Amino acid sequence: MDDIIENAPCGFMTLSANGKILTINQTLVNLLQYPSSEPLIGKHFNVALSNASRVFIQLYFFPIITLERYVEEMYVSLVAHDGEEIPVLLNASFHDNEIICAIVPMHKRNALENELIKAKKMFENAYSEKEKALSELEAALLTLKQNQLELLKANQENAKFKLDTERDLQLAKTIQETSLTKDIVNDKIKILSYYHASKALSGDIYGFYEITPQKYGIILLDVMGHGISSSLITMSLQSLFHKLISQGVEAAVVMQELDQYLHELFQDNQEAWHYCTAIYLNIDTKTQTIEYLNAGHPPAILQDQNGLQEELFATSPPLGMFKSISFTSKSLEYTEGTRILLYTDGVSEALEINALNSILKNSFFQPLSETKALILKELENSENKFDKYDNDDQCFILVELSS
Amino acid sequence: MDQTIINRNNVHISGKGKKTVIFAPGFGCDQTVWKDVSPAFEEDYRVILFDYVGLGNSDLSAFDPIKYSNLTGYVQDVLDVCADLNINDAIFVGHSVSSMIGLLAANLKPEYFSQLIMIGPSPCYLNDPPEYYGGFEKEDLINLMDMMEKNYIGWANAFSITLLNNPARADVSQNLENRFCSTDPIIINAFAKACFFTDNRRDILKAKVPSLILQCADDVIAPKIVGEYLSMNMPNSTITYMNAIGHCPHMSDPEETIQSIKQYLNSQSESLIGEGVGGV
Repeated sequence: MDDIIENAPCGFMTLSANGKILTINQTLVNLLQYPSSEPLIGKHFNVALSNASRVFIQLYFFPIITLERYVEEMYVSLVAHDGEEIPVLLNASFHDNEIICAIVPMHKRNALENELIKAKKMFENAYSEKEKALSELEAALLTLKQNQLELLKANQENAKFKLDTERDLQLAKTIQETSLTKDIVNDKIKILSYYHASKALSGDIYGFYEITPQKYGIILLDVMGHGISSSLITMSLQSLFHKLISQGVEAAVVMQELDQYLHELFQDNQEAWHYCTAIYLNIDTKTQTIEYLNAGHPPAILQDQNGLQEELFATSPPLGMFKSISFTSKSLEYTEGTRILLYTDGVSEALEINALNSILKNSFFQPLSETKALILKELENSENKFDKYDNDDQCFILVELSS
Repeated sequence: MDQTIINRNNVHISGKGKKTVIFAPGFGCDQTVWKDVSPAFEEDYRVILFDYVGLGNSDLSAFDPIKYSNLTGYVQDVLDVCADLNINDAIFVGHSVSSMIGLLAANLKPEYFSQLIMIGPSPCYLNDPPEYYGGFEKEDLINLMDMMEKNYIGWANAFSITLLNNPARADVSQNLENRFCSTDPIIINAFAKACFFTDNRRDILKAKVPSLILQCADDVIAPKIVGEYLSMNMPNSTITYMNAIGHCPHMSDPEETIQSIKQYLNSQSESLIGEGVGGV
């Protein structure tokens, strides 16, 4: 071999068509750390290749050199005599039924390529992570959309339910209001009333009855709370007091019965327990006496023909609160022109202290209907001032007694 | 005939004969590798050449990395081509991993094949001591895949994932050199996983079609001991030891390869005629 080739700055080697080493230059022998070329000549190229490279050479080098007669920049790994792997670039051409190979070691370039491949893999991993995160995000968005749709559907159902419920409540309200008695106006007595539910249904209920042409019973009840549960109780109490009062049962007995009824109602169900305040007046226009009982109710205001006011305070605790209370009525006489105002706390608490007393006093010379109008006006004004009081049911009854 | 399969697998049909010979390229290569062998069969046979999806001029858009990371994906390519061309009783010539692909296809559809010619076959490349020597440790094969990746000419200017998502990739890839022996990491990693880490030792026991094992000298990929293991364990198999050295006798020694195949086929038809005569 030419001395220049022998010591060229690259490995040089010729192989037979089937891969046997025919010649090898000193540079390559040195690279492979063999003492001389002798142990290599006649051996298959495999002798200087790593396991992976042997396969690679079979799968790529020989097919390509056979078909294309030329191999360029093929990366393989040689194995030196002592087992060290040497990354090399291999160029080869097919000439005169021999394969001519030029081999350049590439330790440094290989390290660089490894770094590049590492960077590329990191990028690819990051990219696929990103893609994965994106697709997860899309899935989450889809779920969100579905949830939104379901929510919307639930909302629609809810709205329909609400509409149905409101319609039902309106119907119930009409029924509750139908149970209220009509104002009584004759030459002996005038009874005017006002009734307003905070929600559709009220916890207040009243009734006034002409028991006989000279006897009148007036009752006002306020069941604790408001809304559906309270209104249900008012309705059952209403049917009871309607019967009792119409039959002319004694005032104390009316209260006793209502109290008894509430205790029985909630006997086995403490959770549903409700009590109520009530005031009952039994007016005899002939004897001009008022018999009354007040079970924990705000005091009724009685104003005589001279404009002097008196309050009919509680005579007992509320109904349904304590068992075995005996109810005793009080009596008082009245003169012509006496006016009485019965109200629930929804009215008094909506107004300033003593507002009711003042209205009653100031409208002394005005018709009873004017007094009612003034109270309503005051309530209307207060609605703007004290919004919270619109949360309670409001009810009042005005009575004017003649001779 | 379904043009989509013909295009997908770049199927080429030639030859004057009635009986069909299918040539299936080995790992990473396309049908070009048969150029010195297949013409010798055109006089007497219908010759079919094809590329697996992902290689040669196949339709790269049909490449599914999941389907083709298992040999069943490649087996399906063979079965699709056979079904599409109404092939029955064909001679299947498979190089390297295609030998096993042919065997698996024949186990599924024996009616498609009359004989299998296996050039440099191996049922399992990994060693499984003490009873089996395949020639490789797992590390060798991983190093091999790294080497393929480093030799992928396109890698420096194209990220594989962006390529995979790029509908225009077919055009990009077609400009790459040496397409007949691809080192494209996406395709080759899938193929390499499918073939190098597979173990078909149970499948060869169920071989239904007669087969010829062409065993080369000094084949590092399919050593002699592996060929002998096959001939001992695969029913109806014949082994022929070739003078050709290496793993690709159809390229290095096409004449010997042609003669070995033809000799076997002649002996097969003679024994068939013999049986036929005996039966009358």
